[in-house]
Amino acid sequence: MRINPNQMPDLLAALNQSKLITQEAEMQIATGRRVNVPSDDPTAASLLVQNNDQATFNAGYLQSLGALQGQLSTADSTLGSVVTALQQAETLGIEGANGTLSDADRAAITMELQGIQSQVMSLANTSYEGVYLFAGTITNTAPFVVNNNIPSGVGYVGNNGVNQVLIGNGYQLAANVPGSQLFSASGNDVFLALNNLILAMQGDSGIEDAVGQLSTAASYLSAQRVFYGNALSQAQSQTTYLNSAKLQITQEQNTLAAADMAQAATNLSQSQLDTQATLAAISKFTQNNLFDYIR
Amino acid sequence: MSGLFGTLSIALSSLAVSQQQLETSSSNVANASTAGYSRETAVTEAGAPIRLGNLVLGTGVVLRKIESLRDPILEIQLNQATQQQSDLNAQLAQMQQLQTNFSSATSGIGADISNFFNMLQQLSPDPSNLALRQSVITAAANLARDFNSAASNLTTQQANLNLTVQQSVGEVNNLTTQLASVNKQIAVLENAHVDASTLIDQQTNIIRQLSSLIDLQVIQTEKGGIEVATAKGTALVSGDQSFALSTQTGQNGNTHVFAGTMDITSSISGGSLAGTLHTRDQEIPNFLSQLDQLAAGFSNAVNVASAQGFDLNGVQGTSMFSTPPVGVTGAAATMQAVMTDPSLIAASFDGTPGSNGNLADLLGVATQQVANGQTPIGAYSNLVFQVGSATSNTSADADAAGQILQQLQDQRNSVSGVSLDEEAANIIQYQTAYQAAARVVSTINSLLADTVNLGLGAAVQ
Repeated sequence: MRINPNQMPDLLAALNQSKLITQEAEMQIATGRRVNVPSDDPTAASLLVQNNDQATFNAGYLQSLGALQGQLSTADSTLGSVVTALQQAETLGIEGANGTLSDADRAAITMELQGIQSQVMSLANTSYEGVYLFAGTITNTAPFVVNNNIPSGVGYVGNNGVNQVLIGNGYQLAANVPGSQLFSASGNDVFLALNNLILAMQGDSGIEDAVGQLSTAASYLSAQRVFYGNALSQAQSQTTYLNSAKLQITQEQNTLAAADMAQAATNLSQSQLDTQATLAAISKFTQNNLFDYIR
Repeated sequence: MSGLFGTLSIALSSLAVSQQQLETSSSNVANASTAGYSRETAVTEAGAPIRLGNLVLGTGVVLRKIESLRDPILEIQLNQATQQQSDLNAQLAQMQQLQTNFSSATSGIGADISNFFNMLQQLSPDPSNLALRQSVITAAANLARDFNSAASNLTTQQANLNLTVQQSVGEVNNLTTQLASVNKQIAVLENAHVDASTLIDQQTNIIRQLSSLIDLQVIQTEKGGIEVATAKGTALVSGDQSFALSTQTGQNGNTHVFAGTMDITSSISGGSLAGTLHTRDQEIPNFLSQLDQLAAGFSNAVNVASAQGFDLNGVQGTSMFSTPPVGVTGAAATMQAVMTDPSLIAASFDGTPGSNGNLADLLGVATQQVANGQTPIGAYSNLVFQVGSATSNTSADADAAGQILQQLQDQRNSVSGVSLDEEAANIIQYQTAYQAAARVVSTINSLLADTVNLGLGAAVQ
């Protein structure tokens, strides 16, 4: 059987092929990536899009959790200050109930109480980065305003809205308690109690009852404050979870996209050997034919 | 013829034939690297014997013909393999270009979609924050722009292919004209019983080049000429006549291929023209349509969710993206992020500025089936998969076709290729035969001198 006398195209094709493999291996090592275009691995390319989506949302949730935690801890510590102020008012009230005080003494106490009253109102109007924390969802304006037409002396112009904040896939956390529920709940109205105490102190009558009312309102407020503590700890747990999920997502991305360096290095040295061998074969190829031997 | 002169003429015929054989070998050696050359052999046979009474005497050697060695079946297979490989290579080049639009998971349309929803999500703890709202507006604009540019790249690629079609048709016409003229020359030579091997090699070469452009079949006619037509029967060359193809711009702006008044665009099934047309008329429109469906489905869903909420001013939400065109075609190219004022983002459930209640609806689009029963990211990642696997399949097929072609070339070379070793051996043979015949001539010469000198005193040398 007569063989193909022109082997050159085959050798050149083989050379081309091994150079192509060399190039691919070099590309993987240089970029560290196995999937540079979708055709390198269509399934992986498609999964990488989804992986990036997960990574984006994960990072996003962590960021909003940061913002949320800022709000929650500000609200929490503000309420702590309010409770302290109310306890101070109680102490003053008990002191004022002592029958041995003079009018001037009671007047002094009244002034302090009034100071506490405006402090509490100011605390109830706390804002965090431009957002009023105790206004429900009308957060662009101070929720508590002076209103001398009502017994408590302080009116609420916020609403009852509660925002649910998304902190994970399908995971929502209530982010606030409306100010009306905290400060002016019926039967536990902090401002009413404060105002009544002031009036009682001024009139030197019913001070003990007023102190009792204030104490009830303060306990109620303390109980409401627990919401923020709970929300903070849930936010913290979620942050921990998201951080570990982030590691998993990154790991998955590596599995999908990263080049196996050891394999790529092996491929590279193998294909370089192949190239050398093919080049040597080609150079030997055209050396000898019968014409060389005909004198 | 008998006698010494008869012997002389036999020796002379041998010299002449050896000389021609040497010429043939020398021509083979000279053409050892010529592409498409088929080696020739000088076919000799013994001359017709003559009878003299009871004796049968030979009359020397006769050169029957100079034969080109080629295998017609292999030629047919080579043509088909060439058509196949050119078709696939044309498609592969285009697919590799197309897939660059979808090559990154961290940028491009998919990342933009993720980013848009993420920016909305950032509003959740602080919905009235103007800086955060502006990020949503920016993300929406980036998304629309990337849809626009992907669609634009695909349509530009399509338009460039129109130019390629025109050029290919021009090349086909050039080749068919050349083929017709070669056919004419071959017919003339064959009528005069002259060896037309070189021209037949040329003819084969032209047909091979045509195969890389368009699908064809070669039909031998009874007169010994050839007809070339496309696989579906459109005549390209008939003997010494060629039929040019033409191009016309169709309704959708695409270039169509015509044979006379008949549109043969969709019936071309091989060669680079087929690959180009397939990419232009099937692949690109398919992916463009998927982009359009995603753009339209996404825009509509977001706009609907937006309308269910209230903006920062307490006004009912308006559209965030332009309304897609009816019939969806062109949605990706024309998509705009029409909401530019951050206060218009409809995050609020009840019109109060601090409410984030409608964000749940807007974010819900991320898990809604917006295109082909898939979520936005699902639809996009599926598109990436399809582009990737179409490209990698075409690449594998092109490789396989290339290997088949290579093997057929090798087979053809084993039949028709010039082997220098073989030619060298032949030359030695012919040289020896020539030398022997020359020796016979000198022997006869001295015999003739002896004959002339018969019975004479002085010798004629």
